[in-house]
Amino acid sequence: MWRYVVRRLIQIVPVFLGTTLLIYTLVFALPGDPVKALAGDKPLPASVLHALHERYNLDDPFVVQYGKYLGNLLTGNFGETYTGQSVASLMADRWTVTAQLAGTAWIFEMIVGIGLGVYAGLRHGRLGDTAVLGLTTLLISVPTFVVGYTAQLLFGLKLEWFPTAGTQDGWPVSYLLPGIVLGSFGLAYVARLTRTSLAENLRADYVRTATAKGMSRVRVIVRHTLRNSLIPVITYLGVDLGNLMAGSIVIEGIFNLPGIGQQVFQSIQLKEGPVVVGITTFLVLIYLLANLIVDILYGFLDPRIRYD
Amino acid sequence: MGVRGARFGAVVAVVALAAAACGGSGGGSKGNSFSVAITEPDHLTPAQTTSSYSLQVGESLFDPLTEIDPKTKQVSNLSAQSITSDDQKHWTIKLKPGLKFSNGEPVTAKSFVDAWNTAAYGPNGWAANYYFANIDGYDALNPEDENAKPKAKTLSGLKVKDDTTFDVTLSEPYSQFPMTLAVNCFSPLPKEGLSDFKKFDNHPIGNGPYMMDGDWQHNKQIKVKKNPNYKGPRPGNANAVTFKSYASRDAAYTDLAAGQTDALATIPAAKVSDAKKVFGDRFRSVPGGTVDYLGFPLFEKRYDNLKLRQAISMAIDRKGIVNSVYNGTYKPMGSLVPQIVPGYRADPCGQYCQYNPAAAKKLLQEAGGFKGTMNLWFSNADPTYKEWMQAIANLLNKNLGIKAQFRQVPAADYLDSLSSHKEDGPYRQNWIMDYPSAENYLANQWGTDNRMGWTGPNQDKFLSLIKKGNAASTATAGIPYYQQAEDVALKDMAMIPLWNWQDQSAWSDRLSNVINDPIVGFHVESIKVSD
Amino acid sequence: MTETAEATATATAGGDVGGRRASLWGDAWLELRRRPLFWVAAALLAFMVVLALFPSLFTDLGPNKGCVLSSSKGGSTAGHPFGFDTQGCDLFSQVVHGARPTILIGLAVTVGSLVISIVFGTLAGFYGGLLDSVIARITDIFFGLPFVLGATVILVAFPDHGVGAMCLVLVVLGWTTMTRIMRSQVISVKSMDYVRAARALGAGDLRIMFRHILPNAIAPVFVVSMLNVGQVIAYEATLDYLGVGLQYPTVSWGLQLNVAQDYFTDFPHLLVFPALFLSVTVLSFIMLGDVLRDALDPRMR
Repeated sequence: MWRYVVRRLIQIVPVFLGTTLLIYTLVFALPGDPVKALAGDKPLPASVLHALHERYNLDDPFVVQYGKYLGNLLTGNFGETYTGQSVASLMADRWTVTAQLAGTAWIFEMIVGIGLGVYAGLRHGRLGDTAVLGLTTLLISVPTFVVGYTAQLLFGLKLEWFPTAGTQDGWPVSYLLPGIVLGSFGLAYVARLTRTSLAENLRADYVRTATAKGMSRVRVIVRHTLRNSLIPVITYLGVDLGNLMAGSIVIEGIFNLPGIGQQVFQSIQLKEGPVVVGITTFLVLIYLLANLIVDILYGFLDPRIRYD
Repeated sequence: MGVRGARFGAVVAVVALAAAACGGSGGGSKGNSFSVAITEPDHLTPAQTTSSYSLQVGESLFDPLTEIDPKTKQVSNLSAQSITSDDQKHWTIKLKPGLKFSNGEPVTAKSFVDAWNTAAYGPNGWAANYYFANIDGYDALNPEDENAKPKAKTLSGLKVKDDTTFDVTLSEPYSQFPMTLAVNCFSPLPKEGLSDFKKFDNHPIGNGPYMMDGDWQHNKQIKVKKNPNYKGPRPGNANAVTFKSYASRDAAYTDLAAGQTDALATIPAAKVSDAKKVFGDRFRSVPGGTVDYLGFPLFEKRYDNLKLRQAISMAIDRKGIVNSVYNGTYKPMGSLVPQIVPGYRADPCGQYCQYNPAAAKKLLQEAGGFKGTMNLWFSNADPTYKEWMQAIANLLNKNLGIKAQFRQVPAADYLDSLSSHKEDGPYRQNWIMDYPSAENYLANQWGTDNRMGWTGPNQDKFLSLIKKGNAASTATAGIPYYQQAEDVALKDMAMIPLWNWQDQSAWSDRLSNVINDPIVGFHVESIKVSD
Repeated sequence: MTETAEATATATAGGDVGGRRASLWGDAWLELRRRPLFWVAAALLAFMVVLALFPSLFTDLGPNKGCVLSSSKGGSTAGHPFGFDTQGCDLFSQVVHGARPTILIGLAVTVGSLVISIVFGTLAGFYGGLLDSVIARITDIFFGLPFVLGATVILVAFPDHGVGAMCLVLVVLGWTTMTRIMRSQVISVKSMDYVRAARALGAGDLRIMFRHILPNAIAPVFVVSMLNVGQVIAYEATLDYLGVGLQYPTVSWGLQLNVAQDYFTDFPHLLVFPALFLSVTVLSFIMLGDVLRDALDPRMR
């Protein structure tokens, strides 16, 4: 088992390097000059342009730029934005918001998703099942921004159950509505996965045996099937947490939450390499670690799986 | 939870209620202070920035030599005692005696000269560097060649005479000079502002009615409080102001409407009808200094055709677009300079900027038609740009039968593309005013090396008229020349005017005596708080 | 997975399952025929496809034609059941024209991703080892790539942001999902007895891949790809919504939603109609995928 973990951790290294290189290249390939972008419409004298290019290594050839950036990154220096702000503190600010949003969405989709999925799985083929299936299909079909705007209008503006936008009420109040909207997509998948998995497992031989032996239905479900059914669900939840942490440009825009998604989008428009690469690299690491943890968990939950 | 617990709970509840009651509207409540919503500035050091949000904060911290009354456009002295010249080229500037920075250091002629030299020195990389380009000796500090080192660190055109006097020699006569001195970037700097730039940027020290209250809290807020050393003519009414930083104007408006902040000067067009309802007469729409134009690439053969450009201009329904895209909040223009500029005339463009599809069609025929597809260039910086470009495309298709498509360019690349003449079709151009003079618009957009590729005898005439206006004996005397220059530029229609932005602002009922300014937003020192 | 593959394999091989000659797809069709959900989804989808192929059946106006600025954002009136959009164009006509690029992109991207995932997934799963490792690491890297960044960079090369460019972007950024599924399918099928039997009989790599592995591994991938069409359509709409996707003169539902967001509180019809059509299209693909999956999975009967 430990050899497997170590091997996976080692595999993270080439992915980390590959990702930083890829993203850095992509931002580099974007046309335009970020320094000129900041000047806006105002004249930028040649001498000032050169001074700023030098300050941010923008005159160096690509390999040198990347090398300097990587060197700094490995010592924990995430660099500066083109207005002199520390990228690290910018990331920390933005990620606090995104983490709260992602956490809310994740908890919501886990609890409600599994709950609905169990309910539907137990009633497979009957009305309750069809209702849940219909609801989840609807949630997947309607685009996120439509759900977001509708929810904001209905529950925020008209009914005033939640604040319409912004973070001023802190966690959890400000993050409830956006979290629910963000989590509704994942909720649909979690519910469906749970439902299918549970329904399959309820037909398995060992369940028939247990029932034949006289075990009560509740006990059968809780002791045997639930744990097995949750395996694919946990896999999905683990991966989805990584996705949620990447922030949601759309939800953050609708609810005015200054998170990572919006930051990456703006920085791409302004060609701010250090910000984009910094955020993305961090994200990839989180994603890979989440995957690793899920796989290890998988090994504990399903004794048929063996890592060597 | 026993009796003890319950009592504790009750105490907590009472305290909480009391705090909530005292808290009032939650937006910067106690002690005669208020908050203003802005978007995060890029720098606070005056000459390091040209962003209007930075200038809003700078307006509270620094007193430049002059100030411009936003209503009358009169230029009056602020920290200057007098600014005189016989030939518009050699200026003598005398300061008011006894002025001090907020840290007690006296404001002297050297404070100004040192600050201006620092800003003009190329390698410092300060954004407002170009404002100093007309001072003698500028070229020595700003070599064109990237490998050359500047020959000097100080401008030869600046000379300190004594503690309160310094001389400025410009490279050419410039009648608008005293007006430009009202811009924040000409502010004086204390000795601290000349060395550790980063530290100073986070905690600038100025000579204005307010001073920093703690460091700049990035992406959160900037707090300022009354400057006890201030002896100038515009002391602050409120004791303290908080500039709250928002990620977007929409977010700022949401907070304003919720009472979480007291004032906003940049309400988005889509929220204007809501703002009018919510704020009533605490909503104000004032003419702004930003103008949208549509430029033509004259170096592209198809557009090197005056009748075609006229036809396009007449096929655009400016009023219709302003109504549908901007809820009628902007002002369609028939002139190249906006209303707030002295010397503004309502409609020098005449019929060629009026919507007239029939006449447009005729002109197009006379021009020989338009072959191929038209590419419309703009940067996707704001969703409304796409909206009106689409309206223009639809109008040109309907009225002139022209097929158009978009060329959207990321913000980081747009102006670069325009300057290197990469555009092959009409493009969006806008200009935000530095100071209220026609010269600011005309010289920057139609001057040498303009983006439209406008050259030739007419442009030479234009340039000489601008020069004459600059050489006039006073700023006002220059106006007729600028008007003639505007006429020349309009006649060739290398770039046509579209509309003038109006600044939409609103404030909470705690505030009164709110004065708007097209460059900075609010005059925060004038605002009174009634709690 | 073990049970499915075995029953599937037997069925595909044309053997007797439950006393009658059966094939996987034949059985699936019999099952599908009986489900009302299948017919509903198919009908909706057919409607949308007709909308995409023959917009002139529903509206006389061309895309972006007949627009009158003064009618901007108007409500529904005679002859204009959906009202007007921000440009003053008839919203019903615009929504009809929005079907084609949306559905075209959805189908083209899914087919493209399917092809790529079959090739790479089979190779990775079949040969394993270094090839598998490399492909797995590449998919990892692509997972970390911010979608918007990748899209923006690729679209720089295609300044017209046309339908073809959008398809390319979505394929390049989306092939990883199905490749992973295909790969895991191939891995599980690879260890089946009949594959070992085929090898023992002397079958070469290509023959094994084509005759034995592909037909058995592909069913779940096919189902996922059907569900994926909805995802692709949603992604494309998101790119349009963010302003980096399709642009004028193309008309698409995503673009209409992008415009609607600012005026939504005062003029909800701008959002409601495109959203409705978009959601119904995605819905019908997903329903179809659901029904297909249930039909192909013998364990669910």
